[in-house]
Amino acid sequence: MIERLAPEVVNGIVLGSFYAIVAIGLSLIMNLTGTINLAHGSFMTLAGYLAFAIMSRGGSFWVALGGAALLTMVVGVAVERLFIARLYKRIPLYSLLLTFGLSLIAEESFRLIWGPSSVPFAVPTNLQGSTALGNIVLPTYRLVIMGALVIVITALLLFLYRTRLGLRLRGAVQDPDMMAALGTNTRVLYTVNFAVGVLLAAIAGIFAAGLLGLQPTMGNSLLMPAFITVVIGGMGSLIGSIVGGLLIGLTVSITTLYLPAASEIVMYVLMAVVLLVRPRGLFGEAGIFG
Amino acid sequence: MVAGSSESEATLSRSRLDRRTFLKVSGLAAGAAAGVPVFIPNLGRSADTLKIGVSEELTGVYAYPARNEINGMRMAVDDRNKRGGVLGRQVELVVEDNANNPGTAVEKARKLIQVDKVLALIGTVNSAVSIATSGVAAENRIPFIDSGGHADQVTGSECRWSTYRTCHSTWMETHATGYSIEKKFGKKWYFITPDYSFGHALLTGYQDMQSRLGVQVVGADLTPLGTTDFSAYLTKVLGAKPDVLILMVQGDDLVNALKQANSSGLLSRLPVAGPQGELEVFWSLPKEARVGYWGFEWYYNSPIVLGGNARAKQFVADYTAKHNEPPTARSAFGYITVTRMMDAFAATKGTDPVKVARAIAGPVDALCGSQARYRDVDHQLIWPMWFGDVRADGTPHDPKDIFNVIDEQPGDRIERSDAEMQGICKMAYP
Amino acid sequence: MRLRANAVGTSLIAIVLLALPWLLPAAKLNISLGTTVLLFALAASSVNILLGYTGLMAFGNAAFFGVGAYASALFAIHTVPSLLPAVAVGSIAGMLSAMLVGPFLIRRRGIYFSLLTIAFGQVYYFVAYRWNDMTGGEDGLTVQRPPLAAAKGVDDAQFYFFALAIFALFMVVLWYVLRSPFGLTLRAIGQNEVRARYLGIDTNRFVYFALTLSGLFAGTAGALYSMSINFAYPLLMDWHQSGDFVMMVVLGGTGTLWGPLVGATIYALGANVLSSATEAWQIAIGALFVACVLLFPRGLLGLGSRSGGAAPQSLAMEAGAEPVALAAQGYEPVAQRDLG
Repeated sequence: MIERLAPEVVNGIVLGSFYAIVAIGLSLIMNLTGTINLAHGSFMTLAGYLAFAIMSRGGSFWVALGGAALLTMVVGVAVERLFIARLYKRIPLYSLLLTFGLSLIAEESFRLIWGPSSVPFAVPTNLQGSTALGNIVLPTYRLVIMGALVIVITALLLFLYRTRLGLRLRGAVQDPDMMAALGTNTRVLYTVNFAVGVLLAAIAGIFAAGLLGLQPTMGNSLLMPAFITVVIGGMGSLIGSIVGGLLIGLTVSITTLYLPAASEIVMYVLMAVVLLVRPRGLFGEAGIFG
Repeated sequence: MVAGSSESEATLSRSRLDRRTFLKVSGLAAGAAAGVPVFIPNLGRSADTLKIGVSEELTGVYAYPARNEINGMRMAVDDRNKRGGVLGRQVELVVEDNANNPGTAVEKARKLIQVDKVLALIGTVNSAVSIATSGVAAENRIPFIDSGGHADQVTGSECRWSTYRTCHSTWMETHATGYSIEKKFGKKWYFITPDYSFGHALLTGYQDMQSRLGVQVVGADLTPLGTTDFSAYLTKVLGAKPDVLILMVQGDDLVNALKQANSSGLLSRLPVAGPQGELEVFWSLPKEARVGYWGFEWYYNSPIVLGGNARAKQFVADYTAKHNEPPTARSAFGYITVTRMMDAFAATKGTDPVKVARAIAGPVDALCGSQARYRDVDHQLIWPMWFGDVRADGTPHDPKDIFNVIDEQPGDRIERSDAEMQGICKMAYP
Repeated sequence: MRLRANAVGTSLIAIVLLALPWLLPAAKLNISLGTTVLLFALAASSVNILLGYTGLMAFGNAAFFGVGAYASALFAIHTVPSLLPAVAVGSIAGMLSAMLVGPFLIRRRGIYFSLLTIAFGQVYYFVAYRWNDMTGGEDGLTVQRPPLAAAKGVDDAQFYFFALAIFALFMVVLWYVLRSPFGLTLRAIGQNEVRARYLGIDTNRFVYFALTLSGLFAGTAGALYSMSINFAYPLLMDWHQSGDFVMMVVLGGTGTLWGPLVGATIYALGANVLSSATEAWQIAIGALFVACVLLFPRGLLGLGSRSGGAAPQSLAMEAGAEPVALAAQGYEPVAQRDLG
């Protein structure tokens, strides 16, 4: 039993970490600027394609990971400065629609540039194969992803709680006017915040490309579970996103094992149940970034 | 890269919003606003060409196969036009993008028929789009040949007098590969099936083979769409000790399953086979996923497929020269489909839709060495299907030549018999 | 208020709509495209009820639209093949589908509400996708367009007028509803929910009614749509479809009676004509969305109003801004805005 359950648990944690990291990115942007970033999936896909482009020009996977993530972040900053920043003073509907339009443009552009079918995104050979832990055999790449995502989340927490910039970000979420009055350039904060969200999406996107296959709609397939993660975890809560993501990942993969037919819908059932019991989501009342 | 290469080729002579149309529209608007009756002469209808409407998934996930179908169609039409066209008229393909969406496909099919006045419709890749388009063609009483949508309904429960199909039905795919798999690997099968309607249709087909061949199914799993980790299933498969694993998952799920089957060592202990391998898909796979035994609907470089068919060899040569890429099964579907449609018009010496539809039935050159015919009873093209494995690197002088055909199953063996089909497809001509 | 119907505008719209079956073929377009415009406009109006009047950012109305589409198709297939009952069943099913998820949605506002509507919309999408036996899964569901009366078939032009009649009926109903005390209450909530609550209005209850009404509109549009294309399929319920409906409202003018129609016309005709001209049409549509949001956020019908053509700096700041009622919801540029 444990031999079958263990891979599913690992799988659940991997999926859950993906959902969590995407959800955290969404959450950061939502909390500070009220923007539901429907282009978040496009940033993931973009990062995947950029990594693919770097690798097909001879770059190693790790170079591609770093390079593509940074490039994507630069694109993210440009998008924020050029488009989204103009809408902060309007109701959030407009940034929602703007990012919706951008995601349509992005998806079709990917198709025109890299083709409509998936591209052969190859994970380095030393990350393929399996690793045995006792009599439990686990795919190496998934273990790597798990490790990488844990590092990313830890780094993010350290950034938010141990740096001045992180402190300002948290402050701005609580009370932007006060932050501005105290001499912080909140405008820059918004951009930094957006960049961090996009960076998280990019890292997730590159790892996901090796796991899910890379094609123009890849990112969008992770976007919906990430929204559900935010709802379940509670809007405004970072911890909520992490717990929500893992909860969904584990529930989905364990359901896959015992009741495959229900594995897609179980996420929504979970959401409905959580909302009935705690209308603000699991950590919705614990305060922002709590 | 794949999409870009033949881009210009697939940029189409369709109804553009040209200046004339714009003037008409603005004229109408002005006229309507002023409340005066507007008379717009019906300018520039090229009555001298024979128009065939093409509905394809030019945008969306099927853009690549869709484009290849069009490439095949264009070759046939250009060739025919050089030889004088049909009924003394040049043939014109009017291409519309159905956006891989049935609703859009319905609008586009109606536009092609009602506005562009096409005399026939061909095309489609996505089954839902095929079914929706089939309905529009029947409503408007014009013939339609589904070039590439595989769902059984098209020539089964939802068959229509006006609808034919060139590619194989799901039933044919499972039966062709079923016979070959049993012959090559044995009678103990394990199924991994995606849990949605296409997967269920495939499973139904293989279950029918189970009773025909006395196959023992030692295990069967339904996987949800978007399954990324097949390791749990693969462990189960090895435990059940089948002769062969039949993998019915599609798209990116298939890529994941194949990669994992390869990296977990399952492939060295057990063959993996499946209903259908498409070149468009396998060309875009990383090498470690170019594995397994698959059904092939057509292949450009195999004596088993092409036999002594000189026209087929010419098609392959011309196509490769023109597109700098060999034709896929999709290209062949396009070629066979439009050729048949043009022949039907030529044979009836007129454009009466019912007569043309009837004339589509009958023997046809399906670019292969074996006999083929569009069948009367359900309008399905009855032609062979092939089986073989994948060469990850192609051959030294042709890296695209990745399929190795080893077996052929005759068309009549793999589709339901006429009698069986009559019970499913109730066809009535008007 | 802007609701005072502009008689000239309305008559002009009526004339164009009545003449459309003759205008479209002359413009090299098919008549059923006109039907699609009407039905998208009706669906967009269902969004407008929530977005434009009640101030709720609904992003899941395609689900109600799709439920209506499937319900009418299934009714026509399995019971009486008759047009009116089928459409009625679809309308009611759409309404019920909204009432079913309503309890989960009504306590949240702002972007939380958007998020929930997206999520619950996807629930319906998955049910349609997975319930093969009933819906045909991804292969879709074929339905023969049932006759209106006796055994006489309804062709595309006749169906256009049938859809137009129902569309007109619903617009009249909407007009009356919006001027009724109920509609005024909705608009009061849209302008300032906190104030409405202080006035003793059980706002959650009214939000629920608004959702119900919205579901009825969307369901009716969907029911007619599957009868128009003789097909129902899961993508009708996808959140992208919801997004398109919202975009139509914004394109035309949020909170205006005819905005959704204008937006739907631009969207449907634009997509149809562009996709015949270029394969990159989706990029053009996306760019249209972006341009609309940045350059004319009040939509086309909002262009002429009050502030003229000047790009409004901030709808959120303009408390009295017409016609975008929800602008006055007390939005500030940042942070938690969940009123719930």
